[in-house]
Amino acid sequence: MSTPPGASAVTSGAASAVKLASGPRLLVEQASYAYAADADEAPLFTLEATSLRANRGELAAILGPNASGKSTLLKLISGVLKPLSGRVQLDGVEVSTLDPRTRAQRIALVQQESQLLFPIRVWEYVLQGRHPYGRPMRFETESDFEIAQEALEQVKALHLRERWLHQVSGGEKQRVILARALAQQPLLLLLDEPTLHLDIGAQVDLLRELRRLASDRGYTIVVVTHELNLAAQFSDHVMLMHRGKCLRVGAAPDVYQRELLEQVFGAALDVESGAGGRPRVIART
Amino acid sequence: MREAHSIPPVRWSVRCILVAATMLGSVWAQQTSPAPAPPQPAPAKIDIIDEAGRHLTVPANVRRIVSLAPNLTETIYALGAQDRLVGVTDFCDFPPEAKQKTKVGGGVNPSVEQIVALKPDLVLAAKSMNRKETVEALEQLGIPVYGTAPVTVEDVIQSVRRIGEAIGAREAGDSLSASLRARLDALKEKLAARTPRRALFVVWVDPLITIGRQTFLADALRLAGAESVVDLPQEWPRIGLEEVVKLQPEYLIFADSHSDGADLASARARELAERPGWRGLDAVRERRIAVISDAVNRPAPRLIDAIEQLARLLHPDAFVEKTADAKEKTQSRLTPANADAMPAAYPPVSGFPFPLPAGGGI
Amino acid sequence: MIRPLTAKRLASVSGLLAALLVLVILVSLKLGAVPVSMVDLATNLGRIVIGQADHLPSEQSLIIREIRLPRILLGVIVGAALSVAGAGFQALLRNPLADPYVLGVSSGAALGAIISLVAAPRVPVAMPIAAFAGALATITAVYFLGRRGGELDSHTLLLAGIISASFLSAVIMFLMTTLSGGELRGIAFWLMGDLTSTRTPLDAGWLFLLLVLAVGAIYTTAADLNLLLTGEQEAMHLGVDVSRVKLVVYVSASLLTGLAVSISGAIGYVGLIVPHVMRLLFGSDHRMLIPASALGGAIAIVIADTLARTLVAPTELPVGAMTAMAGAPMFIYLLRRRFG
Repeated sequence: MSTPPGASAVTSGAASAVKLASGPRLLVEQASYAYAADADEAPLFTLEATSLRANRGELAAILGPNASGKSTLLKLISGVLKPLSGRVQLDGVEVSTLDPRTRAQRIALVQQESQLLFPIRVWEYVLQGRHPYGRPMRFETESDFEIAQEALEQVKALHLRERWLHQVSGGEKQRVILARALAQQPLLLLLDEPTLHLDIGAQVDLLRELRRLASDRGYTIVVVTHELNLAAQFSDHVMLMHRGKCLRVGAAPDVYQRELLEQVFGAALDVESGAGGRPRVIART
Repeated sequence: MREAHSIPPVRWSVRCILVAATMLGSVWAQQTSPAPAPPQPAPAKIDIIDEAGRHLTVPANVRRIVSLAPNLTETIYALGAQDRLVGVTDFCDFPPEAKQKTKVGGGVNPSVEQIVALKPDLVLAAKSMNRKETVEALEQLGIPVYGTAPVTVEDVIQSVRRIGEAIGAREAGDSLSASLRARLDALKEKLAARTPRRALFVVWVDPLITIGRQTFLADALRLAGAESVVDLPQEWPRIGLEEVVKLQPEYLIFADSHSDGADLASARARELAERPGWRGLDAVRERRIAVISDAVNRPAPRLIDAIEQLARLLHPDAFVEKTADAKEKTQSRLTPANADAMPAAYPPVSGFPFPLPAGGGI
Repeated sequence: MIRPLTAKRLASVSGLLAALLVLVILVSLKLGAVPVSMVDLATNLGRIVIGQADHLPSEQSLIIREIRLPRILLGVIVGAALSVAGAGFQALLRNPLADPYVLGVSSGAALGAIISLVAAPRVPVAMPIAAFAGALATITAVYFLGRRGGELDSHTLLLAGIISASFLSAVIMFLMTTLSGGELRGIAFWLMGDLTSTRTPLDAGWLFLLLVLAVGAIYTTAADLNLLLTGEQEAMHLGVDVSRVKLVVYVSASLLTGLAVSISGAIGYVGLIVPHVMRLLFGSDHRMLIPASALGGAIAIVIADTLARTLVAPTELPVGAMTAMAGAPMFIYLLRRRFG
């Protein structure tokens, strides 16, 4: 394929020349949100003004304990929620103003999949990623098949294409879900706790994969996770969240300060310096 | 890169649908236009009104009849028109010869095609058994349907006469209805001075179901010198046993299709005496139980027999005198539990339009 | 072997099923309480097609044309409507056990129809409208009852459906006790699924048109339904307008259920089994599944009705009994076979 996925016709060719001239690809500036209170649901929750930037080819990690506002932030970035204040822009365009179809062509969100009750083959599932490009009442085209195939290749899951989705292992399924997101040919790839049900080997594989996709293919990737060390090892930016507030954002060594981490996670922790200047967090016994 | 598949699949589906629709449309169009009658000499027709108030046009010469209810089949035999009866339901069991006729299915769900295949001139239907849908389906196919809906015993007698008229057996209908009425008048005389017995007609024991006031059964009870202790508007009201215990009817009346054995009633009494609650009824304790023919359930000529039978059981002293031409013995089923209180010989139940089947069982 | 869905494949499967349907219709025309010979059947049909329907004097042609054929064609409408409604509910509720009967939607439609029969017996068009209203109200109630923590929960949904169905049946029975003998008998029989009523609420042509419109409406969301199967959130992130799709499918599926029930009473299992079987044969892609279910449902009902007419001829069994007798064992088999 001549045009690498993840790059629209405009940016692919001009990528090297116009790299950062027009600002970061993803710009979150002082975005905040509050859910309406429900009588018997969780009480009122706010995300206070938060800012984040990420460029083409970068991987950002959002960290924090449960109920710290990570998922809300991700929803704001994906355009599903409109921020109460501030802005969330992708290539200069406010994401919440995009119509669902265009948004799906630019942003792909990888969630933990819900229970699958109907049998579907891997290739069918990945092909669904082409939906934002289809016209109603039309079938998929040859190029759709090729793109889906390539997405599977990118995540090294092409050999799985004939299998039933519910019959592949956890790590493989995660890659297939990722492939579907890639088939959308997005500019921005968002992942919500993708490592949750994976063993350590699969976790490392996935993060390595994401890193490669960002660096080699130019995707902008935002990962919500609470795997501190993986985040430190593979990401360009790290954001530490606590109770709806962003405590710190920046490169990993700047963010992983012992007092900060202990305050957020409520555990006795130590921070070491690992290979390549990446910090490593361990529990203090 | 190849051009996208631009034939939308919808076009195929639309094509198939259009083809199918055209075919269906043509078929339906054929059906909405009624099939004209084939050319033949126009048979004489008469206009009548059936018992449901509907206007019908039937041939003056009805040659083929289909009956959709057992009581109507009986009536046809009673009128002597059985040779013209070509179709009956699965449940038409009296007289036994009726079972030999071609069946068209149940009363509620007969096969319309089977009825049509028998080419009837007239179909007899009963409001108590048949569905409106069946009647409408037959009429749409050009087959006249005579509906019956008797509410009182007098209605039943009228029905016999009118059916006779409809099927071209006017004389038989007139004479049969007259004789039935005569018997009822005679019965009325005999029971003139008597107080009606307070009775409960038990349709079903568990759950306890009895009859409502608007049924011909309630009317039959009255004519037999009884009175239902329960007076409710529904046709088959379900009542509580305690209500009955409170009312303490003098007699319990059952209808039974089997006729073997003289102690059917005592058997019934014994069985009821075992049941809690029923034991508390005077009628059960004192064995005041009358078992009569299940002809009482059918609005047909035999209903009068059942009424007479019941009258004898409830007011035996009104029937002490013998009549001159005692031809047939009454059946042993007429014996109530307290047989010793009854006179030794019964006057015959006269005036049957057709012979009693051997072995009993009215 | 990757076998993607193409227009050609859709057309060939549809054609195959349509041909099978025509075959089943022909066989069904031949069978019945009254024997009809092949020659008669052929002549009758031939004459109908070339427009000489008037020249058929015999009782046999009357039987074929005016009794069997309308019944069969109504069965086609009912079968197609119930199956597509079932496929639609299954996709929206992401539950392979959903069908109009299980969800209580059929009972709601029946209740609506009965109320209209009791309240406005002289207005025939009131019945399908009331049936549609009943269906829509029921699915709305079941949808809201079937949520748990704001999200549709599979088991809760089924429970809600079962409870609604029994509640509505109880109300129907109560209403029936207020009816007099004649109407009661008719309605009781109709409730079990009955294609013998020649008094269709609307002209058959209108019924067919409604069927096509509702199925067409659902078909426009077929690709979206494929995505909905993997989750509402996922579908939304892929650009599906989830609320619009839900609205279209719920309303159309309710319309289809109301249509079928107002013709023939509550027939169960068709909306459940037929989409399942079609899925097993042709895959879960709704662009194929919807037309396949429509045709498959028509075939199933025509077969069921033929059996109802012939098994204990001349007595006629209710069609609903046939579908239940065949459907329940198949359902158990499917339950056990379920993947995973």
